[in-house]
Amino acid sequence: MEAASSILLGVAQAALLFFAAPLVTGMARVIRAKFHNRRGPPLLQDYRDLVKLMARAEVIPGEASAVFRVTPYVFLVAMLLVAASIPGLVTGSPFGPAGDLIAVLYLFALARFFFALSGIDAGSIYGGLGASRETTLAVTNEPVMVLALFVVAARAGSTNLGAMSARVFAGPDPAVAATLAAMFAFAFAIFVEMGKVPLDFAEAETEVQEGPLIEYSGRSLALLKWGLHLKQVVAVALFLGIFFPLGASFSLAPVPLAFAAAVLLVKLIVVFLALAFVENTMARVRFMSSPRVTFVGLAAALLAFAFSLAGV
Amino acid sequence: MPTLLAASLLLYAFGGFGALVLRRAETAAISVGGLTAALAGALGVLAVWPVLLSGQTLLYSTPSLLPFGAFSVRIDALSAVMVIVISLVAAAAGLFSLSYLKGSIGIGGGAIAFFTNLFVASMVLVVIVDNAFFFVLAWELMTITSYFLVISELEEEAVHAGFLYFFIAHGFSMLIMIAFFLLTVQTGSLDFATYRAANPPAWLASIVFLLALFGFGAKAGMIPIHSWLPRAHPAAPSHASALMSGVMVKLGIYGIIRVGVDFLGAELAWWGWTLLVFGAVSAVLGSFYTLAERDIKRLLAYSTVENVGVILMATGIAMVGLATGQRLVAFVGFLAALYHILNHAMFKGLLFLGAGALLKGLSTRDMTLMGGLGKRMPRTAFLFLVGALCIAAIPPLNGFVSEWFAYQSFFITGYGPGFAGRLLGPLAAMALAITGAVTLSCFVATWGAIFGGEARSGRAKAARETPASMLIGMGVLALFCVGFGLGSPLVVRALGPAVAALSNSASLATADGLYVFPANPRFALVSPPLIAMLMLGLLALPVIVVGVFGADRSRHIVRRGAEAWDCGYQHTGQMAVSPTGGMEPLRFFFEGLYALHRFTVLFHRVAAAGLAGLTRFAARIEPLWDRLTVTLTVDAASGVGGRFQALEMGNLRVYTFYIFLALVVVLLAVAW
Repeated sequence: MEAASSILLGVAQAALLFFAAPLVTGMARVIRAKFHNRRGPPLLQDYRDLVKLMARAEVIPGEASAVFRVTPYVFLVAMLLVAASIPGLVTGSPFGPAGDLIAVLYLFALARFFFALSGIDAGSIYGGLGASRETTLAVTNEPVMVLALFVVAARAGSTNLGAMSARVFAGPDPAVAATLAAMFAFAFAIFVEMGKVPLDFAEAETEVQEGPLIEYSGRSLALLKWGLHLKQVVAVALFLGIFFPLGASFSLAPVPLAFAAAVLLVKLIVVFLALAFVENTMARVRFMSSPRVTFVGLAAALLAFAFSLAGV
Repeated sequence: MPTLLAASLLLYAFGGFGALVLRRAETAAISVGGLTAALAGALGVLAVWPVLLSGQTLLYSTPSLLPFGAFSVRIDALSAVMVIVISLVAAAAGLFSLSYLKGSIGIGGGAIAFFTNLFVASMVLVVIVDNAFFFVLAWELMTITSYFLVISELEEEAVHAGFLYFFIAHGFSMLIMIAFFLLTVQTGSLDFATYRAANPPAWLASIVFLLALFGFGAKAGMIPIHSWLPRAHPAAPSHASALMSGVMVKLGIYGIIRVGVDFLGAELAWWGWTLLVFGAVSAVLGSFYTLAERDIKRLLAYSTVENVGVILMATGIAMVGLATGQRLVAFVGFLAALYHILNHAMFKGLLFLGAGALLKGLSTRDMTLMGGLGKRMPRTAFLFLVGALCIAAIPPLNGFVSEWFAYQSFFITGYGPGFAGRLLGPLAAMALAITGAVTLSCFVATWGAIFGGEARSGRAKAARETPASMLIGMGVLALFCVGFGLGSPLVVRALGPAVAALSNSASLATADGLYVFPANPRFALVSPPLIAMLMLGLLALPVIVVGVFGADRSRHIVRRGAEAWDCGYQHTGQMAVSPTGGMEPLRFFFEGLYALHRFTVLFHRVAAAGLAGLTRFAARIEPLWDRLTVTLTVDAASGVGGRFQALEMGNLRVYTFYIFLALVVVLLAVAW
């Protein structure tokens, strides 16, 4: 059955990204340390952290409700579903039922909803601030993603991620400028979505960037951290799936799939290297002046849209 | 089935008057009103179900006894959708009111039940009558009954809001009457059937459309004529707020569709574009205005403005599609509009009932006095969370599916041939994306402020779980919210005939098996039920990981009740971010968007001063009015409940009489 095998492939892709996520983010940590002239943690440190946290005792704030408990699971499930739906191992979208650009963006919204809510639910200062930032940044970021991806969707005549990926893959396109501008805008938006700009601080990550995490501990913290690693990887994989589908398999045979998996990992690592360079050379801004940075993405998306209208 | 629908209407009326007769025995009156509303709602759904599925139009008409034409009823698929929207929320609100209105005993619970039932019945009448005279009559009945619901709690603010509502509603319903009048001049009849065949010249049609747009748009809460809405809706008892915000605003949209599409055939593309622009402005500004509210019911009312905007955008793009002959755009646009009308009624009804439960439990609407209720009212918190997730368009729930169709209608316009469509379609999608993100921020902050964190007042600390019958009313709507999402393939099929009739085309396929798609699966497809299933399936992955690496059950230690970590400082609930503080960055970033808000506030001050002057004037020239208002105040002060209904009845008679008189004059003039 066609549908069953594609769902299976989607699950396999989700599992691959799930288990590879700490490797990729671990590597990002190593590179960041190199930029800081530190020796940095070992490559597999993120796995060790997660496994250790899994076995630790858990402390739950007295004010927290059930939302706090379920958030790690909801967050992971939303990200896994995105991971199962984006074109990665194969040229199309493995799990078609959610392989739509709007569906994927709103699955990110589901993760954000619960992540932010858990921060408020715990009742701590940093949690509330983190939640506020998390949801505020999305207001400028979401339209950028929609518009940038629409430019590609308009080329493909479809909002199915697989179809969009195939259109880009098919190569020579009359509207090269539009696609390039859309790529830049979407890359920027992904960068913001990953929490890299404009606020990230290696020195105060928990307080500033990962505010809602502050009250988590033990197993819940492990799961939620894993979810955040996965989100970073999935966001980049989404970008790669649409704009750099090269290397994806055309068939469901095991050898091309294994090759595609290797290529996907290499692509992820390359992108994270590039990201590490950007994030370590950019200045951070105060939160209240962050629109100055985030509007760059908006401008790029509008530019892409204008190019697309003009057909160049 | 006209008999069933007539039975449903009679049951509303019976329950209403029964409640009025029993008003001395208020508990009985409330029960009669609530139960009949629930039953009549169920009957109403059964009555129009066959029409919805078959798309066949039912006609019924009395012999023409009056000079205004026959009392004719016409139930087409659009009416059927509206009747279902009205009936479902009415039934849930009826159940909810059974124990909610217990709090109104002594201030006329029976009267509230009476007005509620009459209000629902008049809304059903509005969507089924097929004659301008009776339409306006039903419309006025709807306005007046809802006005009494707004002022029923007799607080000064509510009375003020009521006045504003009353005057704006009547001012703008004049526009509707003029629109009908212009059409009647063309056709020489008040029957809607003749309007459909009228085919007026383009300039006249444009005038009629604009009149209808503003006349009905005021009822729908379209920005910039929305300002009464966030004042009036919250003032009513919560189950009535649910009906006003969840249902009554949709009748404004119904009116725009009825006149613009059904009567005038969406002839010119700029009508649709105008609607799209008004819709986009309402959606974006409405969502931002929710951020400035700390009153939960006002916040929900602003969010109604926003959702009306979304529906208007979809309707607008559909009308453009009709005018430019893009059948697919029209079809998907109307599908999105009708679907969102249905969905918004469910989740806004649910959220308003939730607000009612909170109001009942804590005697306040101020969110800054809540907090920590997730542990004290877990069921209410859960149901409210379902509503919040739906309104934030989270897949696979219902709000997601209808917004997804709205996105698709904009995208398909964007792929299309015309430059206007290629420019404005994607920009509309962008507006929807901004709206979606702001809505999410707002409802995260709202749920968090009410149910999360630490209790911020004594009332919140003492709160108890909501009584069961109120939870049932909310639960019914929550089930529909989830069901209309997971069951979306069935819903789009059921809406098919109505959408086909509006878009003047054969019914296009929008569902196949578990998938839904915008008429052509190549454009996009999504499957909410499969998404839900795979979500459950993927849950296995973290569970397995926990099973392998986590400490086993006996050694997994969970310590509850710790204080939140504030970098070593002693934690107090006051330190947590307040609901308004959490939303401050957005208000700061988008400060410019609040300019209109400030302007309308100013407008309100002026209008309120004007109204006060008008009231004084009226009081001076009219002793009857004077006596009524004076006794009203005395009555409220002395707290004698029973007298209140009598007063309202006095008011009602006077108002209906005036309006009836005005109508007769206008219509006699027309008949000549």
